[in-house]
Amino acid sequence: MMPGAEYDSIERELHIDASPEVVFDVISNPEHVREWWPDEAEYPAVAGGAGRIGFGSDADDMTWVQFQVVEAIPPRLFSFRWTHDVGESAAAGNSFLVVFELEPAGEGTLLRMVETGFRERGWAEAKAAAEHADHVSGWDFFLPRLPVYLHTLEARS
Amino acid sequence: MNTNQHTDVDDVLWSAIGDPMRRRMLDILLTDGAATATSLGERLPVTRQAVAKHLVVLDRAGLVHAISAGREKQFRVDQAQLARAVAQLADVTAAWDSRLLRIKRIAESIQRSKDAGKRSNTSPKPNKPNKSDKPNKSDKPNKSDKPTKGTLQ
Repeated sequence: MMPGAEYDSIERELHIDASPEVVFDVISNPEHVREWWPDEAEYPAVAGGAGRIGFGSDADDMTWVQFQVVEAIPPRLFSFRWTHDVGESAAAGNSFLVVFELEPAGEGTLLRMVETGFRERGWAEAKAAAEHADHVSGWDFFLPRLPVYLHTLEARS
Repeated sequence: MNTNQHTDVDDVLWSAIGDPMRRRMLDILLTDGAATATSLGERLPVTRQAVAKHLVVLDRAGLVHAISAGREKQFRVDQAQLARAVAQLADVTAAWDSRLLRIKRIAESIQRSKDAGKRSNTSPKPNKPNKSDKPNKSDKPNKSDKPTKGTLQ
């Protein structure tokens, strides 16, 4: 029925078998961000760094979304705002805020992610952004889940 | 980013559901099936008037419907509209789950190649474990702690 989560944020945490320094680089460096999210990423990975991320398979047909780094404190905090309009400065009310917190955990890293801004901007916008950003990588999303799903089916039969 | 026709409707929906008091009201309505402003007010730390205002917002978002029964209107949750709201939440959440899985895969593969590089650079004998770096790789305590665990739900 109603999920336990609040409706104005998404919160996730996961353990990664890599040092906080490595994880920080993967979540903040545009070179790496391109590998896990948009097709293009152009921004300085420093506090206040403004730029854009692009979705699309070729350069002529790229949808650009505004992106601005809020805080960058290696290797423990990286936050940014995205989806504000061109020419606007990213702020509460015109963009979604994503905060990554990193904490050493054993040999690896505990990564926490919180995205907020849905109350101010509306979920339809977030959904459109999410679908746009991920339809290309749909298989990346479904393939890792397949074994789990098959397992569920087996358990049911 | 393009906004579609449904944006206004969905914004109403989400501001309706974004308020903690209105979520409590929805919870009560889901549990009880139906309630009046008076009976909701009795169970919540707000006045009947405040409850009535919240019900107007929920009604406008299509999350509740009023049925006239007796002297006071009874309110019910619109299950389809609520399911729609929850599905939107799930879509955005799933997008982040897939991004985080990719982050994990990339970071772990970088770490593995770093560790391999470090072993061959700093120590001529690759079998010799690097003292501070990975104290007990061989007897990793938790075998069930597989990569995708905890990110799927």
